[in-house]
Amino acid sequence: MDGRVGLRASRRAAPTPRVAVRSSPRQRARVREQEPVVSAMSGSGLGKENKAGSSTPLRHRPNAFSELDNATPRVMLVEWKCSKVELQLPDLVPEDASVTTFRMTRKRKKLSISEFERAADKRLPQNQAHSTLDSTLVRSLRMSVGSVMAPDTVEKRGLLRRPQNHKAIDIAAFEGGVEQNMLQIKAQDYLVDLQTSSMTGTTTIRTDAEVVLNNTELFVEPQLGEQNLLAVEPQLSDSKTSAQRSNTSYPAHEKARLEGLVSRVSTDERRTLRFSEKDLITDHEHVDGITQKTPAKEGEDEQDHSQQNDPMEQFSESEEMAGTTEHHADAEYSEHSEKKLSRKAVSQLTAAQDAGVEMEMTPSEGGVAEGTEHQDSPKAELQMAGSPGGHSPASYSLKKSGAKPLKEAVEQTGEIERGTITGVLDAAEEEATDDESDIEDHESEEISMKTPMFVHAAAYRPHPVLSPPHPVKSASPELPPQPVRAKPVPKSSGAAQRKTREPEIASSLIKQIFSHYVKTPVTRDAYKIVEKCSERYFKQISSDLEAYSQHAGRKTVEMADVELLMRRQGLVTDKMPLHVLVERHLPLEYRKLLIPIAVSGNKVIPCK
Amino acid sequence: MRRTVPRGTLRKIIKKHKPHLRLAANTDLLVHLSFLLFLHRLAEEARTNAFENKSKIIKPEHTIAAAKVILKKSRG
Repeated sequence: MDGRVGLRASRRAAPTPRVAVRSSPRQRARVREQEPVVSAMSGSGLGKENKAGSSTPLRHRPNAFSELDNATPRVMLVEWKCSKVELQLPDLVPEDASVTTFRMTRKRKKLSISEFERAADKRLPQNQAHSTLDSTLVRSLRMSVGSVMAPDTVEKRGLLRRPQNHKAIDIAAFEGGVEQNMLQIKAQDYLVDLQTSSMTGTTTIRTDAEVVLNNTELFVEPQLGEQNLLAVEPQLSDSKTSAQRSNTSYPAHEKARLEGLVSRVSTDERRTLRFSEKDLITDHEHVDGITQKTPAKEGEDEQDHSQQNDPMEQFSESEEMAGTTEHHADAEYSEHSEKKLSRKAVSQLTAAQDAGVEMEMTPSEGGVAEGTEHQDSPKAELQMAGSPGGHSPASYSLKKSGAKPLKEAVEQTGEIERGTITGVLDAAEEEATDDESDIEDHESEEISMKTPMFVHAAAYRPHPVLSPPHPVKSASPELPPQPVRAKPVPKSSGAAQRKTREPEIASSLIKQIFSHYVKTPVTRDAYKIVEKCSERYFKQISSDLEAYSQHAGRKTVEMADVELLMRRQGLVTDKMPLHVLVERHLPLEYRKLLIPIAVSGNKVIPCK
Repeated sequence: MRRTVPRGTLRKIIKKHKPHLRLAANTDLLVHLSFLLFLHRLAEEARTNAFENKSKIIKPEHTIAAAKVILKKSRG
C-alpha cells in the first residue's frame, strides 16, 4: 500500500517538492514535522476538491496527496483509505515523538483543521459518494488531531502559570515570628550552654588534659557543676547586680552565698579562662582536693577558693568581656548559694581576712609591677567600690602585711573582692581568725602565686601591642601624649626616626632578581627567606672585605679586594675572569665604568 | 626591565655593618655583582631542591636548605 502510494508519488513527479517528500510513512512522518498532518489530510481533500473542480484555500497548503489529484476518485479513495490506516498508525507514533515540533505548526494545524472542516463541509454537499469517506476522514482527522491536540493542551497548561496568590504580608505576624526565632535561638544557646556545663559538671574534671580538652573556646562561659542547671535567669539578674554594684545594702547571707559560689565557681571559671595556665589548674585541682577532704576545713578551703577566685574573677572580668562571664558567674554563685548556706557563716568570717591575706599573697609573688597591673585591671571594680573600701584596710590591719606596695595591691584586690563580698567584710573584721588565715596563707600561697603570673601575662599583653606603633609615627601630634607615656620620646625623634630606618635592599628588587634567575614560581615565604639570606650575605662580605683591606694595610676597600673576595667565593676562576662576569651580569652603563675601554686617540675610558 | 643598582643603599648597608670601612669609587658595583651571583647560585640550588621534591614551586624549605649550602660557599 505504501509502495503504491510511493509509486504514485514518484510517477507523478510533482513539481512541488512536497510531493516528492511523501512516499513512505517515514517520509510522511518527516514531512509531518514540517507540515501538519492536517494539511496532508487537507491535501487529500484538496485533491478531491480539485477533482471536483472547486478551488479551495487549501491548495496552497503543502499536501502529500497532491499526486492524487489526477487519480480517479474511487481509486484515490481506496488508496487513501489504505494509506489512511497506515497513516494513522504511524501518525500516532511520530506524533508522540514530534510533540515538541508541533508548536511551530500549531497555528497552521488549527487553521488547517478549521479550513479543512470548512472544506469538508463544502465537499459534503458536492460529493455525496465521499460522505462516508469524509466522515471517516474527519474521524481519522479528529483522532489524529485529537491526539495532537492533547499534547498541545498539555503544553498549554504547562505554560499557563498558576493563579498567583497575592497575599498581603501580615507585618505583625512576621515580626512576631522573627522575635520568636530570636528567642528560640537564645534559648537554644542557653540550653546548650547549660547542658554542656551540666555535662562537664557531671564528669568531674580532674586532669589537666581533661580541662584543656574540654575548654577550647576563647571566651568560655564558666562551666559549673551539676547545680547550674535550673532557673538561673532570675537569679542571674539578682546576683549580677549584686556582684557588680557591691552595695552594702546586700544582705549578708547573700554575700555568703556568693562566697560559697565563688569558691566552686571560680575554680571552674579559672579553668575556662584562656589565660589560665597549667600550674593554675593544678593548683585549683589541689585546692579542689582540699575542699573535698574534710568538711571541717571546707569553710576555709572555700575561702581559699574565694580568695583566689575573687581576684581571679575580678581580673578575668576586667580582661574578658565581662558581660557573659559575670553573668554566668553570677548564675553559678546563685546556684552554689543554695548548697552552701550552712557554711556561709564560717566562710563569711574568714572571707574578708582570707581575701586580705590573699591580696598580700598575690602581690608578694608578683612584685610591684604586678601590683600596678592589678591596679589597672581592678580599676573598674575600684570605681565601683564604695563603702566597703574602708573595711578592707581595716581587715589588713588585722593581718601582718608585707611590703608597702603589697598593701596597695591588697587594697585594690580587697576592693575587687568587695565586689562580690560586701556585707560580709563587716562581720569578717570582727573575728580575726588568724589561725585560719595562717593556714590558708600556706595553702593559698601557692595558689595565689599563680594568679599574678597569669594576670601578669594577661595584663602585659595589651601593652606591647600599644607601644610599637608609637615610634613609627612621626607626626608632631605625638607631643601631647608623649609626656604621658612612660618612655620619653623626644619630639625630634619622630622625624629623625624615619631617616634612621635600617637600610635594606628593596625587597622588590630581590624578588625581581631571584625570580628571574629561578624561572619558576616562588612562594611568598620563600622570598622572605631570600631576603634574610641576603642580609646575612652582606654581613658576611662586609667582614670579609674589611679583613682583606686590613691585610693589605688599607682602610678603604678597593676593587682588588672585591675581586679577591669573588675569587675566594669561587665565582672568579682562572677560566672565568672578572670582566666576563661584569659583562654578563651588569648593565652597559656600569660595564663602562668597570672595564676600561680603549677608544681611538689612545684614550682609555675610564682612565686608569 | 632591570632597575638601576641601588648603590646608595649598598653603601649604607656596608656602613651599617662596618662603620669604619671606606669604599672606593666603583667598588659597590662589584659588590652588587657578587650579590647578583650569590642570588643566582641560591636560585639554582633552590630550584634543584624543588625539582628533587617533585615540586614545581619553590617552597621555603627548599630555599632554606639551599641557603645553608650557598652561604657556606660564599664565605671569603
